[in-house]
Amino acid sequence: MSRAASLPVIYSAQSVIGMSDFSEELKGPVTDDEQVETSVLSGAGMHFPWLQTYIETVAIGGKRKKDFAQTTSACLSFIQEALLKHQWQQAAEYMHSYFQTLEDSDSYKRQAAPEIIWKLGSEILFYHPKSNVETFNTFADRMKNIGIMNYLKISLQHALYLLHHGMLEDAKRKLSEAETWRHGEKTSSREILINLIQAYKGLLQYYTWSKKKRELSKLDKDDYAYSAVAQDVFNHSWKTSVNISALIKIPGVWDPFVKSYVEMLEFYGDRDGAQEVLTNYAYDEKFPSNPNAHIYLYNFLKRQKAPRSKLISVLKILYQIVPSHKLMLEFHTLLRKSEKEEHHKLGLEVLFGVLDFAGCTKNITAWKYLAKYVKKTLMGNHLVWVQEEWKSRKNWWPSFHFSYFWAKSDWKEDTALACEKAFVAGLLLGKESSWRSKNRPQTIMADSFFLAWMAICMYSLGTGDRLEIPLACLEMLRTSKLDGGWAPVPLE
Amino acid sequence: MDFPSSLRPTLFMTGPLGLNDVSDLSMCSWQNVLTQPEAQPQNLKNGALHVTKDLLWEPATPGPLPMLPPLVDSWEPGLTAQDLLFRGGYRYRRRPRVVLDVTEQISRFLWDHGDIAFAPIGKLMLENFKLEGAGRCTKKTTVVSVKKLLQDLGGHQPWGCPWASLSNRQRRFSILGGPILGTSVASHLAELLHEELVLRWEQLLLDEACTGGALAWVPGRTPQIGQLVYPAGGALDRLHFQEVVLAPGDNPQFLGKPGHIQLQGPVRQVVTGTVQGETLLAVRSDYHCAVWKFGKQWQPALLQAIQVDKGATGISLSPHLPGELAICSRSGAVCLWSPENGLQQVYKDPETLVFRDSSSWRWADFTAHPRVLTLGDRTGVKMIDTQGPPGCGLLLFRVGAEASCQKGERVLLTQYLRHSSPECLPPTLHLVCTQFSLYLVDERLPLVPMLKWNHGLPSPILLAQLLPPPRPGCVQPLLLGGQAGHLQLLHLAGEGVSAPRLAGPPQSLPSRTDSLPAFPLLEPKIQWRLQERLKAPTIGLAAVVPPLPSASTPGLVVFQLSVAGDVFYQQLRPQADSSPRRDAQPPGDTRPDCRAPTASWTPQDTAGCSQWLKALLKVPLAPPVWTAPTFNHHHLLGSMELQREEGVVQQPGVLREAMAQGRLLLQRDLGSLPLADPPPAPESGPADELSERLREAWAGRGAAWWERRRQARTSGPRRQPRRPKRRTQLSSTFSFSGHVDPSDGTSPPHSPEGPPAGALPRSPITSPSQELTPDAWSQGIPSERRQTLHDYMAKLPLQRDTPGHAGTPPSSQASSTRATHSRQHTPILSGSQHPRKKPRMGF
Repeated sequence: MSRAASLPVIYSAQSVIGMSDFSEELKGPVTDDEQVETSVLSGAGMHFPWLQTYIETVAIGGKRKKDFAQTTSACLSFIQEALLKHQWQQAAEYMHSYFQTLEDSDSYKRQAAPEIIWKLGSEILFYHPKSNVETFNTFADRMKNIGIMNYLKISLQHALYLLHHGMLEDAKRKLSEAETWRHGEKTSSREILINLIQAYKGLLQYYTWSKKKRELSKLDKDDYAYSAVAQDVFNHSWKTSVNISALIKIPGVWDPFVKSYVEMLEFYGDRDGAQEVLTNYAYDEKFPSNPNAHIYLYNFLKRQKAPRSKLISVLKILYQIVPSHKLMLEFHTLLRKSEKEEHHKLGLEVLFGVLDFAGCTKNITAWKYLAKYVKKTLMGNHLVWVQEEWKSRKNWWPSFHFSYFWAKSDWKEDTALACEKAFVAGLLLGKESSWRSKNRPQTIMADSFFLAWMAICMYSLGTGDRLEIPLACLEMLRTSKLDGGWAPVPLE
Repeated sequence: MDFPSSLRPTLFMTGPLGLNDVSDLSMCSWQNVLTQPEAQPQNLKNGALHVTKDLLWEPATPGPLPMLPPLVDSWEPGLTAQDLLFRGGYRYRRRPRVVLDVTEQISRFLWDHGDIAFAPIGKLMLENFKLEGAGRCTKKTTVVSVKKLLQDLGGHQPWGCPWASLSNRQRRFSILGGPILGTSVASHLAELLHEELVLRWEQLLLDEACTGGALAWVPGRTPQIGQLVYPAGGALDRLHFQEVVLAPGDNPQFLGKPGHIQLQGPVRQVVTGTVQGETLLAVRSDYHCAVWKFGKQWQPALLQAIQVDKGATGISLSPHLPGELAICSRSGAVCLWSPENGLQQVYKDPETLVFRDSSSWRWADFTAHPRVLTLGDRTGVKMIDTQGPPGCGLLLFRVGAEASCQKGERVLLTQYLRHSSPECLPPTLHLVCTQFSLYLVDERLPLVPMLKWNHGLPSPILLAQLLPPPRPGCVQPLLLGGQAGHLQLLHLAGEGVSAPRLAGPPQSLPSRTDSLPAFPLLEPKIQWRLQERLKAPTIGLAAVVPPLPSASTPGLVVFQLSVAGDVFYQQLRPQADSSPRRDAQPPGDTRPDCRAPTASWTPQDTAGCSQWLKALLKVPLAPPVWTAPTFNHHHLLGSMELQREEGVVQQPGVLREAMAQGRLLLQRDLGSLPLADPPPAPESGPADELSERLREAWAGRGAAWWERRRQARTSGPRRQPRRPKRRTQLSSTFSFSGHVDPSDGTSPPHSPEGPPAGALPRSPITSPSQELTPDAWSQGIPSERRQTLHDYMAKLPLQRDTPGHAGTPPSSQASSTRATHSRQHTPILSGSQHPRKKPRMGF
């Protein structure tokens, strides 16, 4: 784990609305004694947005706020309040007055104003019952040119709004406009934004393409329209690949883009290209460990009928990231079918791993697999594997899975699940010595089965009126058969 | 478990915080509502439709209502910024400068408690003073005559008058005493005071003690009945169990008196949870944690209590295994705790996770894996495997560029969203709140927040609760609570393979101050008191979704606990789809959206409020926590002299020793205290004429009062009853050396110049024990106007009036009382030649 160096964060006494307040801090380290003192007082670098209100209760000097600033900030808080109360109409009325902030003599505030206006204004227009797409368009177009620094961001968000309202063509047009926009010097951040805009454009092209593709699949090859549509499909693909490929090289989460890009590449038979994109997306160190990257790669390889070892290696990494994923059961099946012994061992580990998670406790398939596989492992004389897995779980699985409460409720809700669990409980909680007699495999299983049966007995009777039998079973399990740490189960 | 099939596009940057220029692509909160573009266009069309545009909970009343407790506890608002910060300063600075006002605090301390500050030094310097009674004249230059010195000092203004002329004697004294008085007081007291002030100021900025909240709901036998568990009783050290019946569509009913458990420290956090049918209650105090189990009769039974030496900062109950808890302490240790197996330390690191931060706040919670815990501090959240090798783990959240954090951003609260119902949200989500934003992080994809939303709460967000969906298939409400009482409600959706998102715009709920109109019209002072009470910080939040009778609309009851120990509740109903929708509206309809709050106060509500207010007003205002012990140096002078003559003074030696060792002189070193008056207790008595008259007039009985008054006057010349000697409380805490002649009823002129009004500490700890003497003003004023003047002077903020004795005695009585009082102690100086001089400090 890398530790970032302690930042020379300078404390600011102003409340934060946008980014403007920080600009003063960005000037560099300040050696003024006041800064040092206050940073000590305010907990070394932590920013308190509510500090301003405290300061306002005390006259402690500093420039007095001008009337203009006072009214603007009051107006801003009215808008925010109205938004939080869903009073869109009122918020819109206040917004009219808030536009005065664009004339602020304070240059920081003036620069931050367009962004704040866009944030609040778009929110009002998004929810206002009487706003429509045209209003939003007008507003967005105006705001783009007022806050020239935010042109790209606003364009992108405008396009997303249109996309949300199902207006693909308009959205595409907005994105094309933004793509060609040039102003001032090129910065890396702007470049990323342009890449993102292009990628969204690519995604929209993909939508059209996939619509065309569906049309194509409906058409007969001999149809006169076929070749025209096919040509169209081809053209789109080319444009899209140019648009998307630049973005997905930048570290990030680009699921929708990667997915559509790969689909198109696959359609045109560029399997190597698709695999390269996916491999890069999954294994590049600079990218976050996105489970979807591995899932996409696995699904792709599966479609390509890749060899089992390759599939296993992909899922092995997914297993490390998300042991609870539903693909893990598929992984287990693959491992079970594999010839290697270490894979068999891993198969057991994977099943135990899935059932460790709170969201998977009722997964009957996993329990079924586990019941079968533990039995198989024991039969195959790999008692150690089971012991190894059980070692770290024996102090909490009994109360997590095999408690009296679950026995009762599972039996009520899902008898099949209860039976599977009972079987596993019988195997795992049974006397370890009974597993060990290697020369008589039949007896082992009989013993385990006996325990499992008893457990089922307990399950089934736990819900009934007669409690003596489960009590007796429990007592037996506790005293004679079990030393694996059956949790003290409360009995009513 | 399903993982979202396609996540929202996010740029991933690593690095320190403050690089949010590019990566913060989601500028607008409405974007969080959009379903992110799917790879399949047809899905997108559906997605556009199923966004809930207006999900609004409508409060049943305009503000929360108070729960009527059997006893309302007294509460005083603590220190404010006004008490701590330096006022004034450079006018033309761009920014106001925040400086702690140590100078004023220390001067107040010296002024109010000069005996404590100076007595030991005075004793140390005893040989340099010639006290009363020592008749022979000393020629030694290092010996000062106290009597003369006091006479010289008498003319000084209390806050130091730069124009006062110094006598040689004083100069000699200041040369003599200056170094000792200056350094010792400054080095010992100022250091401690500064430390304390820094602590108080930090606490004022962020009081993290009650993170997580001290109010919890325990479900009962039937879904309608439950218990509220919360601390009460002034110091918050009595744990109350109040039974509540939730009637659908009606206000909750509070059954009987709450049961209680008395604890030995203030309760900071209360957590309840039901795992496998077993309901547990965990309580965190500053240095103790305890866990109770609810038995069959829903009676709590203590399982275990432990002591945390370094101070516990967080406790949480396992949602997976019954009877398992996670606690963390200021030392950076995280322990897994179960009453059966005891404590198991799973992690320890005094350093913060991501970068260095001075805060020792830690937080521990559970994850979807019963053996993996999260550890949070101000800089990030880490997942630690309790079974893995110590020290290892994976960062789940990092205050940095990954989550596009702002400069100065810190984690305030982190919570495992344990009650997520599988059809709504996956059980792997964690909530992380900072001063600016709220993040939802999935433990399967660390570092990249699934959702970021700028909450904009103007107070630290220390309380959060995820509620079950009120209707099956509905979205899950998430309740957020700021310390200053702000409440926000968001809705989270993210079922199956879709990524978690906000469903609809967030909403603010009424805070306690919104209930002010429900109270009857009050006198300004009481109104102010009520307002202060309603403004008390929120330290607990619990929300319950009452059980649904068939085909009824779901409801929500929000309970909140204030630091004063008051529980308020509010009922919420989801607003039916009555909102005027764009498509549903007839064209040309220009009616503004009818979102005026429909809720109003019912007579029952206002009756409840008045009843609560009545109970509140019955509570006497807390007497000053600490009153200065009276120090009377005239008294002392004599005894000292006596002691010296007997040669039994060893204190200077003790003090010298203490100073050589650099430690504080403790009381036990000095032996018994000098004779002191018992601390004055507030005297109760009938209120004065003016407030009585005002009160009557307010109630509309002014004329009757006047009539009564006149009759009383005519019936007897004797004024009835004798005025309470409220002044004696203040004056007795002080020593007067100047003699006041009782016969003329006036006292020497005294400068009224005090600290500016409103600049005075309002804390009971620093209650002013000096007073402005109205008598100073009354010289040369016609006697008939003196009463008015007195009343006016009494209203000056220097005095902390209590409703019981809010008035001022008439001048003649007051001064005579005081005069007699001081005469008791000041027989020596009574013949002073300078009646105007009143030294105020005893050194």
